[in-house]
Amino acid sequence: MIQSIEFRSMNTTIMLAAEGPRAIDGMQATKMFIEECEQRFSRFLPASELSALNRSAGEWVTVSSDLMDMLQLSMNYYFETKGIFDPSILTELKWIGYDRSMDDIRINNGRAPLPRASKRASRPAFHEINLDLTNCRVRLPYSMEIDLGGIAKGWIVDKAAHMLHLYAPACGVSAGGDILFIGHPEDGFDWDVFLEDPRDSMQMLCQLHLSSGAVATSSVMKRTWSQGEKVRHHLIDPRTGESARTDWLSVTVVTPDAITAEVYAKVILIGGEGELSNLLRNRQDITFIAVDPNGNLLGSPNHKDFIYESTDTNLSIGVPH
Amino acid sequence: MKLVKIGLRVWITIASVFSFVGGWIMLVHAPKPYQSFQQDANTALPTLEPLPPLSQFVFGDDNNFQNQPMFNTQPRQRFGSNSFFRTGGS
Repeated sequence: MIQSIEFRSMNTTIMLAAEGPRAIDGMQATKMFIEECEQRFSRFLPASELSALNRSAGEWVTVSSDLMDMLQLSMNYYFETKGIFDPSILTELKWIGYDRSMDDIRINNGRAPLPRASKRASRPAFHEINLDLTNCRVRLPYSMEIDLGGIAKGWIVDKAAHMLHLYAPACGVSAGGDILFIGHPEDGFDWDVFLEDPRDSMQMLCQLHLSSGAVATSSVMKRTWSQGEKVRHHLIDPRTGESARTDWLSVTVVTPDAITAEVYAKVILIGGEGELSNLLRNRQDITFIAVDPNGNLLGSPNHKDFIYESTDTNLSIGVPH
Repeated sequence: MKLVKIGLRVWITIASVFSFVGGWIMLVHAPKPYQSFQQDANTALPTLEPLPPLSQFVFGDDNNFQNQPMFNTQPRQRFGSNSFFRTGGS
């Protein structure tokens, strides 16, 4: 029997599910791991390792092997996506009002203050970071700050799921919809995942099934706020420095690991149809499902392999997020 | 007193014998279960079409249900214990 727990961390809902006699022990250990990761990698916590790195731009800083791993992966994805994935957009995020956690913005009725300066400061490019892999040291260029938000979430989901798998033959870890499943439930059914309608998160568009692997979704409808007269969302297009204007409302990606799913859901949504062929040319392992403004589903040629044919559309899930 | 006891024993004996015989007679004249079954069996049974050969199931490829593969590769769908995962961005 699959057991589950749910809790709040990283400004989102975390869900752990596992089966087997040691499932509860595994979920408790995994919960502690995730909460510890939040303390280390959140940009909103001044005592975090990431905040310390952001404060030390221009100097060499010794970092943990985990943070180095994330930075190295970020650099790989930065080059792989030709800069559409860029964790150094924190300057732009703060400029448009995302200088505090989403929970804090929601407390303020979804309103963010106008920027203090009349013009956004320029910043160096992400590839100007110096990574000393041998000594585990990093030097950010002056005036650069980084936000590992999405990639850290994917990284944590991957690590947490593998940790939980040490206790349970079949398990799943979800952080705000970035999910990794390891092992197949012993009752023979696939893992089920509801795909939310981005226009109304209480409605589902379809039901996906995975025997194992990861799924992640990026949406321009979730983390939104107003800044003056403008409506903002958290997906910055590094090419413009503004909230991305996208062809679709959300993109869901199915891949073997959560970190790739998280990164590619974001870059496919930001890049849109124009960048699709470039982004997916060398990634045969990626399946994406996009939702257009009318709620229509489109995606990779094989995207229907992951969707139950009998799914009723617009069926209410009734599970608050 | 002794006469009363003897009378009571005789009365119980006679009542038991008559009750047993009465019950026997009732059961003998009651309708038997197999009799009602035999009456129903006289009604005509529906005739069934012979089943198509197994090969027709395995290699079907259109939307006709009878031509669908017998061992469908579509995973089973459920709304059960692990159906609580959802994705939609955060």
